[in-house]
Amino acid sequence: MKKKLSLVLATAMTLGLVLSGCGGGNTSGGGGEAGTEPVPGAGAETTEAAAAGDPAVDTTGFMMDVLNADIQTADVQKTSKDYTMPQNIYDRLLDIEVDDAGVSKIVPSLAEDWDISGDGLEYTFHLRQGVKFHNGNDFTAEDVVYTFNRLLTVENGVNTELLDQVKGAAELIEGSADTLEGVEQIDDYTIKITLKEPFAAFLSCLTAPGLSIYDSEATEAAGDQFGMDPAVTIGTGPFRFAGWTFNDQLVLVKNEDYWRGAPKLPGVVIKIIPDTETQTMMFESGELDLLDLDFVTDATERFLETYPDQIVQGPRVGITYFTMNFNIEPFQDVKVRRAVQMAIDRQAILDALYGGRGQVEHGIYPYGLIGFNEGQTKISYDPEGAKALLAEAGYGDGFTMELAADASASDTVTMALEIIKEQLAAVGIQAEIKNYDESTWLETRKAGELGSFMSTWTADFNDPENFIYTFFGNEEKTRIRSINYPDAAVMARVSGARGIVNEDERLAEYQALEEKLIHEDAAWVPMYSRMHLWAVSKRVHNFKPVWSGVGDRMYYGVSLSE
Amino acid sequence: MLSRVLKRIFISIPVLIGVVLAIFVMLRIVPGDPVTTMMGEHVNPAVIEKISHEMGLDQPLIVQFFRYVANALRGDFGTSYRLNRNVTQIILDAFPNTVRLSLLAAAVAWLIGIVAGIVAAIQQNKLLDRLFMGSALLGVSMPVFMTALVLQYVFAFRLKWFPVSGFDSLRAMILPAIALGWNSAGSIARMTRSNLVEVMQNDFIRTARAKGLRENGVIVGHALKNAMLPVVTMMALQLSSMLSGAVLTESVFGVPGIGRLAVNGIETRDMPLLQGTVVFTTILIILGNLIADLLYNVLDPRIREGA
Amino acid sequence: MTNDRERPTEVGREEKEGMAAVRAVRKAEFCMPKPEEPGAQLGESDTWADKLQTLVRQNKIAAISAVVIVLMILAAVFAPLVAPYDHLAQSLTDRLQDPSAAHWLGTDELGRDVLSRIIFGARISLTVGLVPTLISMAIGTILGLCAGFYGGKTDFIIMRLADVMLAFPSLLLAMVVMYTMGGGLINIFIALSLVNWAGTARIVRSQTLSLKEKEFVEAARSIGVKKWTIMFRHILPNCLPSLIVLFTLNIPSAILSEASLSFLGIGAQPPSASWGLMVVRGKKYLFSEPWLSIAPSVAIMIVVLAFNFLGDGLRDVLDPYLKEQ
Repeated sequence: MKKKLSLVLATAMTLGLVLSGCGGGNTSGGGGEAGTEPVPGAGAETTEAAAAGDPAVDTTGFMMDVLNADIQTADVQKTSKDYTMPQNIYDRLLDIEVDDAGVSKIVPSLAEDWDISGDGLEYTFHLRQGVKFHNGNDFTAEDVVYTFNRLLTVENGVNTELLDQVKGAAELIEGSADTLEGVEQIDDYTIKITLKEPFAAFLSCLTAPGLSIYDSEATEAAGDQFGMDPAVTIGTGPFRFAGWTFNDQLVLVKNEDYWRGAPKLPGVVIKIIPDTETQTMMFESGELDLLDLDFVTDATERFLETYPDQIVQGPRVGITYFTMNFNIEPFQDVKVRRAVQMAIDRQAILDALYGGRGQVEHGIYPYGLIGFNEGQTKISYDPEGAKALLAEAGYGDGFTMELAADASASDTVTMALEIIKEQLAAVGIQAEIKNYDESTWLETRKAGELGSFMSTWTADFNDPENFIYTFFGNEEKTRIRSINYPDAAVMARVSGARGIVNEDERLAEYQALEEKLIHEDAAWVPMYSRMHLWAVSKRVHNFKPVWSGVGDRMYYGVSLSE
Repeated sequence: MLSRVLKRIFISIPVLIGVVLAIFVMLRIVPGDPVTTMMGEHVNPAVIEKISHEMGLDQPLIVQFFRYVANALRGDFGTSYRLNRNVTQIILDAFPNTVRLSLLAAAVAWLIGIVAGIVAAIQQNKLLDRLFMGSALLGVSMPVFMTALVLQYVFAFRLKWFPVSGFDSLRAMILPAIALGWNSAGSIARMTRSNLVEVMQNDFIRTARAKGLRENGVIVGHALKNAMLPVVTMMALQLSSMLSGAVLTESVFGVPGIGRLAVNGIETRDMPLLQGTVVFTTILIILGNLIADLLYNVLDPRIREGA
Repeated sequence: MTNDRERPTEVGREEKEGMAAVRAVRKAEFCMPKPEEPGAQLGESDTWADKLQTLVRQNKIAAISAVVIVLMILAAVFAPLVAPYDHLAQSLTDRLQDPSAAHWLGTDELGRDVLSRIIFGARISLTVGLVPTLISMAIGTILGLCAGFYGGKTDFIIMRLADVMLAFPSLLLAMVVMYTMGGGLINIFIALSLVNWAGTARIVRSQTLSLKEKEFVEAARSIGVKKWTIMFRHILPNCLPSLIVLFTLNIPSAILSEASLSFLGIGAQPPSASWGLMVVRGKKYLFSEPWLSIAPSVAIMIVVLAFNFLGDGLRDVLDPYLKEQ
């Protein structure tokens, strides 16, 4: 009996020990809604805060945001999806500014001014002086040269295509050159970039998060810890990366010396919460200041009703599209493809799944993008017409096709496929939803063998090139999207348009190509572009959704009232 | 006694090897190239080949296996594909949270389970019995994630007694612990009850009763003592189902624990992470069983004497 | 009626070795092998009909549970006749409707009738409960018989294999299998079958161990009956009561596992709807249209409770040691 007692005691002690060991005080700001008490930590436990990085960060009073999955790295040269950190801790040479009318323009950032040579090949950038990195180092031309070279040579690097038009990029990647020939330091605050051929979208490219500028000294010293260890992840941006506890939270602290002026927010805590219902409850209990309603699409209606004054929205420049693989029977036939375009009731899907928040698209360039064409040919929902076309094509009795679902995609996409399946059935096409795991889906797609699928392409930078070239740029581009568009002549034009220096001519060519691809050849079904909605707590001011699909969150300019 | 302990430990070794081998093989028959998935969209094939080579993925399976075991023995579970970090470190960072969650949940399960079991046994087949066993069963019959969500909704969101998410204070830990513990509480309550009911029919209890001890005293004093033995060992075994349940509870409440890592591993197709998490968790369970086994020896005089 | 027989607290020396001790205790909760007791075998006087009668007489809840289960199975089998609507028919204009006379449980996010989906979902969820349990128990029974009957190396290998399987947390193991094979029903069957056979193998083995020493087995052996015949004709039937109880109690855990896998996004895949998937999808509307997740949750609870009650009841009847009165 005594033994049992001591056992129980031992257990209790262990329990107590473990529990008291866990940090408690990190109350994490809290209190978004008026009248909601911040949740206190347990008793006398001291603030332990984010384990990785800066243990001294007191996050009281920080804005609370949420992500549903943790980031992979904050090194933007190694990720093509986690842009939240890069957008806020680094700067680019150039930025994009969107006015209230939705018109965007390229504005100076780390580059104050630039000249372009007459042949469109040489870009000279005059850099901003007096900008400091978070570690106190001065920003100079050397950092730009270093950053661009690193992008093309770093281990596990992605985003290399952002620089593939620069002279010598291919040689550097292949290893036949040691440095990037096309990027030259003229003096401490001037660099010259030489392209291998004219590329009109190059300035837009430089605004992409993938081309964020790093500190040559700190980044080199950090090695592979850059982007992983907040302490060594240095930028010039408005916020400093202050803490990262994996699967728990990311912490940003304001950069007092930011060259545009210190941010109004003391800092931001980004919680990582996978469950969407938990996210909504957190927001409604005042534990969050910001909630991306894209995570909780299904709760949007309720939020619009319950918090009408706390919804912020803006267009997200991106197009949802539905593909038809030209290599799969019977999609070689333009009549069949057009029939599918007509058989899908896009407005109904947009209404059902997104409450109609967005607009039906008819081409390749979505609403909000440079080159968006209001006046292009429209595709109308016409099941009878679709049936007639199918009959003409010899498929009066319909046919079977595959809808390839990526298991990792959001439920809303799967629901859209379920609706499409029914709509196709109405014109006699028997579509079966086939579920792929993410890796098989991606691999099959890259092999060009995937059946029809629905996906969304959001802008990396504001130019039609980023859309049309991605899907119809050349034989390889169209294959890895499992479209397999066969017309080499058209694709040569798509490719060639990148070099048209005259802006009007270039846009005219892009729009002509859009007309040809979508309306003449019915190469895909443009679905819709959507509004991006956010719920913000009452104390948040000036939060604006980012126009692009990259890095949804820009915290600079946002403020909290107390 | 010592030889017994050694023997037990010895028996666990082939199981450990089997576990690692099973997981290893299962994860290698995955279709698709892990590196392609890991790199995502913007990447060229040369890079993929290079990384495959660096990770030794182009080696024969048997070589990969021995390399993995050799590294694992040194406490190195490899590098996560997605996080570019040492898996052991990631697991060790998350581990304390899962331990806290499991221990608290175990406490909850004990408390609810045993109290409910005793009450039910005393009040055999009366209303209270039905009520307690009913609510204990309710815990077993709901999907864990729904239990978690309902608790969260009622006690955190509506009543505001607890924070909705987080795991940084004892208060924040209570709901996740109940959500996880309730499930086990059901089994424990049922077992406590049926053990008590049986033990109470034994001769020595009758003797105690005949000696005029009060009914409740009889139960608490004698019956419980005898009935607890299987329950104690069962608790150790609940470790396995607890760690399974933690996968779900941690996701709902946003607890940065090991269960989340397994989900991360699946979602991002991060094989080393998933592999490390499962192997680690399983070793934990084997050790837990070993300890329970030895405890059983200590607690049960019959076995001790028999040894 | 009181039962004076003293229950042996020890489960049998064999099982006490290694982790076996604790395992046996765990399983004892469900089904305690009592090989020494002839009552555990079917005596001539104790027919199945008698047992059933006892069940109905003694345990009303178990009897009601049995009826509920039969009704559920019937509804699943005759779903097209029972369900008021086609469970796949969408109506985008009638999305997310409250329960009404037309739709007793309302409609879901694509305007499909929830009641009809639950009735059709019973097909999937009950199949998920039954098929993997049957497969895993069949595997477990055969391996357990072999281990117990042949002993020696066979026994050692099979039981170490069982140790390995039992060491895994079941959900994590299922996740690994689903990671490898991807989501979908068939893969769930495989995952759950792989995960759950070991427990059955243990129990069958320990029963076989003691049964093979029994006179009737000795007798059969002495007249040269083949080993396989002895195993399946003589030993297996005597394990049946335990197996039936175990079967009943394993089904709910399979159904719950499927729900968990669906929650993690690696369970049943749309548009087919298991109850688990319906809960997961409906959960997104928990605050505005709670019935979408609550209705399938309740369906799961009813089935799980019914099988648990029935299992308890059957144990009392088939396994006299555990009779409590």
